Amino acid sequence: MIKKKYASVLVAAAVAGLALGASVPSSQAASKIASQTVRLYISADTNIQDLWVKSLIPAFKLAYPGYDVNVTFDLHGDHDAQATAKITAASVLHKDSGVDLIDGGFTQQLGLAGLLWHPTPGLVPNLRDVGKSVVAAGKGGIPYRASSVLLAYNSTNVKTPPKTLDELLAWIKANPGKFTYNAPNGGGSGYAFVQTVVDKYLSAKDLATLQQSVNKPLQSKWAQGLETLRSLNPYTYGKNGTYPANNAETLKDLGTGLVDMASVWSDQFASAVKAGTMPANIKITQIATPSFTGGASYLGIPSSSQNRNAARLLANWVLSPAAQNIIVSGILNGMPVIPVSKLDPAVAASLSDVDVSNLRSTYLSANANDLKSAWAAAVPGK
Amino acid sequence: MTTVKPVVVAESLEARKASRLSVLGFFMALPPMLLVICFVGAPILIAFTFSLGWTTGPNRVVSIIGQEIHKKDQWWGTFGAYKDVFHDSRFPGDLRTTLLVTLISTTLVLTMALGIGIYQRMIGGRIASIMTILTLVPLFVPVVIASWAIHTFYAGDGFMRTLMSHFGIDFPTLTSTSTAIAIGTIWTSLPFAILMVTSGLQSVPDALIETAQDAGAGFFRIIRTVLIPLALTPIVIAGTFTAIGIMGSFTIPLFLGPNQPTMLGVEISNFFGSYNRPQQSIVMAFIVFAAASGIAFIYIWANVRSAKQSGRI
Repeated sequence: MIKKKYASVLVAAAVAGLALGASVPSSQAASKIASQTVRLYISADTNIQDLWVKSLIPAFKLAYPGYDVNVTFDLHGDHDAQATAKITAASVLHKDSGVDLIDGGFTQQLGLAGLLWHPTPGLVPNLRDVGKSVVAAGKGGIPYRASSVLLAYNSTNVKTPPKTLDELLAWIKANPGKFTYNAPNGGGSGYAFVQTVVDKYLSAKDLATLQQSVNKPLQSKWAQGLETLRSLNPYTYGKNGTYPANNAETLKDLGTGLVDMASVWSDQFASAVKAGTMPANIKITQIATPSFTGGASYLGIPSSSQNRNAARLLANWVLSPAAQNIIVSGILNGMPVIPVSKLDPAVAASLSDVDVSNLRSTYLSANANDLKSAWAAAVPGK
Repeated sequence: MTTVKPVVVAESLEARKASRLSVLGFFMALPPMLLVICFVGAPILIAFTFSLGWTTGPNRVVSIIGQEIHKKDQWWGTFGAYKDVFHDSRFPGDLRTTLLVTLISTTLVLTMALGIGIYQRMIGGRIASIMTILTLVPLFVPVVIASWAIHTFYAGDGFMRTLMSHFGIDFPTLTSTSTAIAIGTIWTSLPFAILMVTSGLQSVPDALIETAQDAGAGFFRIIRTVLIPLALTPIVIAGTFTAIGIMGSFTIPLFLGPNQPTMLGVEISNFFGSYNRPQQSIVMAFIVFAAASGIAFIYIWANVRSAKQSGRI
């Protein structure tokens, strides 16, 4: 077995040597050992791709020179269903799925199906710095960054933005056509508004249940919230029960002044401001009782992964203060999952206007899928 | 005897040649046949068994991940997923939108294609040729780009509203309506229909039109009794292709249509992805398949008709 492995390394080194030409030093060829290459599957928007490819991976390779990362990128998670099926099939058949680490919305789904390798603080030491409830909600996923949905408003037209959900609902009715949120199946910012309105009528216990486990009977309690959302149809943008298709369209409607208020992702808003597509008079704030949802994004190591140790090393490194600084300060403008006190003070200062410690997490993916479906059946065009 | 013999030999030679050709033809037809059986036929069959609740074998993985999966409770399966779809409050609206958009768009596409085709055939000239060429432009614009262009044209802050507001007219926002879906589908389907219909009309011999004129037939009578009947087969083919294409459209209703009710192409994708209900999405796919088969029947009828006319069968 060892011999065989050794031989394959030699073959790989020889092939790499041939491919790179004779002038390449042998140490570089030897560094491309297959077991030290993390095959990372990213299913997200381009800002996450940039985070990995331009910032995290180069820094990781500097910290661990022997290791390499191969990225497969799927824009907007268009192939999530196929990727999930492939990884599931590989796990069931005990074959290699070609993926060692996943950054995508479907990790939780894989975790629920029992197809993720369960990390423990013993094997991923930096996990000790992450909140226990956030880790538990991952069902085997490793939380590595957070983001939150916030209320964006046009400060020229809105002098005193709403502070609570009730005030927001009253504002929407008082200013017809000036608020919008995107269809929940098209993006998380609209989904957060929908879940927040629905959560208004749920007890803390019911909410916790829906965040942790699949529960069909509890879903009937969404009816009141969905009715509230339906009653907003004549007051949202368009006044006819139609909603923007995705996060980007919501941001565009805000930026071009079609609406004065909308729910947006914190990181996407920050990126739009930096890119100049969001005018300076658009501000963000968080509402209370309940606040908009946010939460962690999870990395997952499939149980079928062949380079599990390399994947574990990368995941552990991403939770280190050095990597978390990159997530907060870099291209993404994200939120950390480790305590702010562990970050670089200069970086931590940029987080002052957002309460990182108090993120309200979304439902378990299976419940979230059902909520999207329930919204589509009960709200638009009714 | 001596006069018959060579004929027999020639016939048997012909027959042997024909049989050899038919064997060759069979093997030439085999690769596409195998391709269709393996990559189209088998997946359809497997999907059909999944919609009936067969969750083992090739359907095992999808049934581990999916939600609201119905497992078979009879030897033949279960209609659970079909019941889900028919009892879903969204389904009647989606089906109505799909069929209405298909019917309206196809009718308008055929009318417009006939208009341009007849203009070119009966009147002709430079302007007619330029017009025909212009109508083919959408053929070279990808559907995604076209949908987004139409979106920015009719959106709340779009060109039409901006222009009209200069004249004090409040032009309606057409995006997120079924009207916008119809505009988009007509835009993308028109070039192909025009190609088919104009070439069909061009193949009607001048002699027939001139004879009708000599016999005193007017413009509309020639169209009604000479041009359209003689070009009926290509017109029907253009109509069926347009209708099937529109019925299965996805990009246009996704970009331009309302959230609900939407066309089944988008709803199938919602059920498969966002709501993670693969079984129900397959059921909807089979409903679209059944409707498209109805249209395909008209296509086959038109083909058989034209084959009969030309004496091939």
